Amino acid sequence: MSSSTKFLTLKTCDDKKFVLDEAIAVRSQTIKNMVEDDCVSNVIPLPNVDSKTMTKVIEYWKKHSEEGISKDMLMDFDKAFVKVHHSILHALILAANFLNDKEMLDMMCQEVVDRIKGKTPEEIRKEFDIKNDFTPEEEEEIRKENAWAFE
Amino acid sequence: MDFFRLLPEGCVSDILSFTSPKDAVISSAISRGFNSAAESDLLWEKFLPEDYEDIISRYVSPRVCSSKKELYFSLCDSPVLMDGGKLSFSLDKKTGKKCFMISARELAISWGVDTPWYWEWTSHPDSRFPEVAHLHTVCWLDIRGTIGTQMLSKRTNYVVHLVFKLAEEHHGLEIAYAYVRFVNRVSDKEAEERASTLSLVGKRRPYVKCPQKRVDGWMEIELGNFINDIGDDEDVQARLMEIKHLHGKGGLTVQGIEFRPE
Repeated sequence: MSSSTKFLTLKTCDDKKFVLDEAIAVRSQTIKNMVEDDCVSNVIPLPNVDSKTMTKVIEYWKKHSEEGISKDMLMDFDKAFVKVHHSILHALILAANFLNDKEMLDMMCQEVVDRIKGKTPEEIRKEFDIKNDFTPEEEEEIRKENAWAFE
Repeated sequence: MDFFRLLPEGCVSDILSFTSPKDAVISSAISRGFNSAAESDLLWEKFLPEDYEDIISRYVSPRVCSSKKELYFSLCDSPVLMDGGKLSFSLDKKTGKKCFMISARELAISWGVDTPWYWEWTSHPDSRFPEVAHLHTVCWLDIRGTIGTQMLSKRTNYVVHLVFKLAEEHHGLEIAYAYVRFVNRVSDKEAEERASTLSLVGKRRPYVKCPQKRVDGWMEIELGNFINDIGDDEDVQARLMEIKHLHGKGGLTVQGIEFRPE
């Protein structure tokens, strides 16, 4: 067994394989720990991440590992990267959480924050397809208790 | 499909902690899931000032709160006395930023000590502090309040008000001057030159600031404003004065000077 493997193979939950430079893959603290603990065989299974999401994660990792890329270019990339449907946003949060990539997790959460800030409950429900599971009485009660915030 | 249900516990609270107290309260009306996330102690602890534990240790009489959310709102709805009653402290509900009022006893009032025929110290039923300063008559009206910027919320615009009442019989208060300055950066003289003009009795004229009625029944008048950057500007001082025309002035009751986020 050698821990100096140059390439790692990641296997997503839908059985797709991704071959990736180890130096890039270790942006994930989870993978980094596995590599350091020398418990990497040929294939690293990622049971919580599907291939569609992993493709996006790798796109992000590769861009952020590019040599000589300017801060402005990265900012533009990030800005475009987070402008996705909320279902993808959530899948990326779950993936970043599982892979333990704090930088990516913070960025995705910030995007959710930006989509919540300054909006009404109705607007937030619509933005994220959230079902209102309150009874009308319960909702009325919450609004009454916090009338100052809804003014 | 509500994807928020799939997020790990605490993650929604974490996300809410990067919004604002107002947004967090609004989000509690989205769904049951959000409602429970918006109750979290971790969330409300983030909305409390960083040094809230130090502030609590300086309370005059301790308050018991069963949760961080309850503590937060108790500080918004009723100011608490600290430092032996010299200061009162509260939070701005929508932002969680810190608001202080310096009691009249802690202000530097010219002719305010041991000369009760000028300024008299009395109690007032509507005051949050044990004592207020009542002006019988002076020629030299000069009141200063000073606070350390490190106590205030960072990166915040503050506006400073004198909190007062007028007696039915008042005189000589038509015009006064005010400024706010960083003590180590701007001299008294420089600040005096750019002092604003105000009228405690609300005599409306161009460029003259007038008082407003507060919800607590007192009046307030703006002395000035400033930006607290990271709290390393040392002391900031607000001053109200009328020392140009030395006519008699009287019939003013001062509760304190308030520093509150804009």
